[in-house]
Amino acid sequence: MKKLIEPKSFSAGLWKENPIFFLMLGLCPLLAVSSSLKDAIGMGVAFIFVLTGSNITVSIIRKVVPSHIRIPVFIVVIATFVTIADYSLAAYLPKLHRNLGVYLPLMVVNCIILGRAEAFASKNNLINSALDGLGMGIGFTLAIIIIAFLRELPGQGTLLGINILGENYKPFLIMIMPPGAFFVIGFLIALKNSIGGRKKC
Amino acid sequence: MKKKDIITGLVVILSITALSGYLLAQVYKITKPRIDEQKKQEEQRLYKEIFPEGAEFVEEKEYVAVYDGNKNPIGRVYQIVQAGYGGPVVIKVGFDTEGKVKGVRILEQSETPGLGAKITEKTFLDQFSGKTGNELYLKKYNKEGKIDAITGATISSRAVSEGILKLQEKIKLEKTADTVTGATTKEAGYEKTD
Repeated sequence: MKKLIEPKSFSAGLWKENPIFFLMLGLCPLLAVSSSLKDAIGMGVAFIFVLTGSNITVSIIRKVVPSHIRIPVFIVVIATFVTIADYSLAAYLPKLHRNLGVYLPLMVVNCIILGRAEAFASKNNLINSALDGLGMGIGFTLAIIIIAFLRELPGQGTLLGINILGENYKPFLIMIMPPGAFFVIGFLIALKNSIGGRKKC
Repeated sequence: MKKKDIITGLVVILSITALSGYLLAQVYKITKPRIDEQKKQEEQRLYKEIFPEGAEFVEEKEYVAVYDGNKNPIGRVYQIVQAGYGGPVVIKVGFDTEGKVKGVRILEQSETPGLGAKITEKTFLDQFSGKTGNELYLKKYNKEGKIDAITGATISSRAVSEGILKLQEKIKLEKTADTVTGATTKEAGYEKTD
C-alpha cells in the first residue's frame, strides 16, 4: 500500500517519468506551440493548471465512478478544467489566449492529461494525485521551455520576443517551422538516451 | 453488464456532467463581462491604431465612421472575415476618404503560432498602408502587387490580402449603388409631382 504522501509521485514527472522524454506523450501541443518561448510558458502554465485540477478531481471521484464509464467521465472533468482555463485566459490574458489559439481547447484530448487520470489519479489518493499532476505538469513545462528556447533562438534570433543575436543575424527559419520541432525533439531524445536515460526492457 | 451497473453508470455520469455544466455557467458569468470588455477595448485600440488622428469612432451598420477633432469625416473602418490556414481571420481595414487603405489590423485569428500568427505584426500589416487597387495583391500573385508575404505563411498572408481586396471591391460597388439609388429616388420624386 502506498503512503499517504509519496514524494516520488512529484519528482517522477520531472525526469524519471518525464511525459515528453520518457513517456513520449503529449507531443502534439509540444511540437505546435514551442516555436516561441512566451507561448510555451503560457501553454505550460495552463497545462499545469488543467493537469493538477483534473488529477485532483479524478482522485476524489475515483471510488464512485464505475470502471466501464470512467473514460467519458474523465473527459468531462478534463474538458471542464480546459474550459475554465480558456475563459479565464480570454478574460485576463487576451494576448496569450490569441497566440495559443486552437491548442488550448485541444488540451481536452491531450494524452498526458487523460493518461495521468487513467494511470495514476484513478488509483491514488488526493495528495499523491495532486503531486503527480504538479510534477508531470512541471516536467512538461520544462520540456516545452527547453524546446522553445532551442527553436526561437536560432529560428528568429530572439528570446521572449527580445532580439538577442543582433540585427544582422539571418534567422534559421526552418527551426520555427514544423520540421524544426521534429529536429529538436529528435536530437534531445537521442541526447537523453546517450547519457543513459534509456529504460531497460 | 447488469441492469444495476447501467443505472449507477447513468446516475454518475449525469450528476458529473450537471455539476460540470453548473460550474462552467458560473465561470462564464464571471468572465463574460470581462471578455466583452476586453473585446471592446481591443476594437477601440485597433481603430485608434488605424486612425491615430481619429477622435470619434461611430459604429454604423456596416462600418465604423471615423471623425477627427473637428467632426469632419476622415474615413471608415470595415471588418471582413476571411478563411486563413487555421480558421477564420477577422480583419479590420481602415479606408481614407479617397478609398486608399489607411491601416490594417487583425482582431482575431487562429493561425499557427510563430508562423501564420505573424500576420498580426506591424511589419507585415504596415505594408498595406497607403496602397490601393492592385497594389494590395501579394507580389507573387500580381505584377502590380506590392505586398511581401510572410516566409512560410503564404496562406495566412494571402487571406489578409484577399480580404482587403474583397472589401475594396465591395466599397466600389456601394459607391456606384449609392449614385444609382440616388438617381432612381430623384426620378420617383419627379414622377410624383408630374
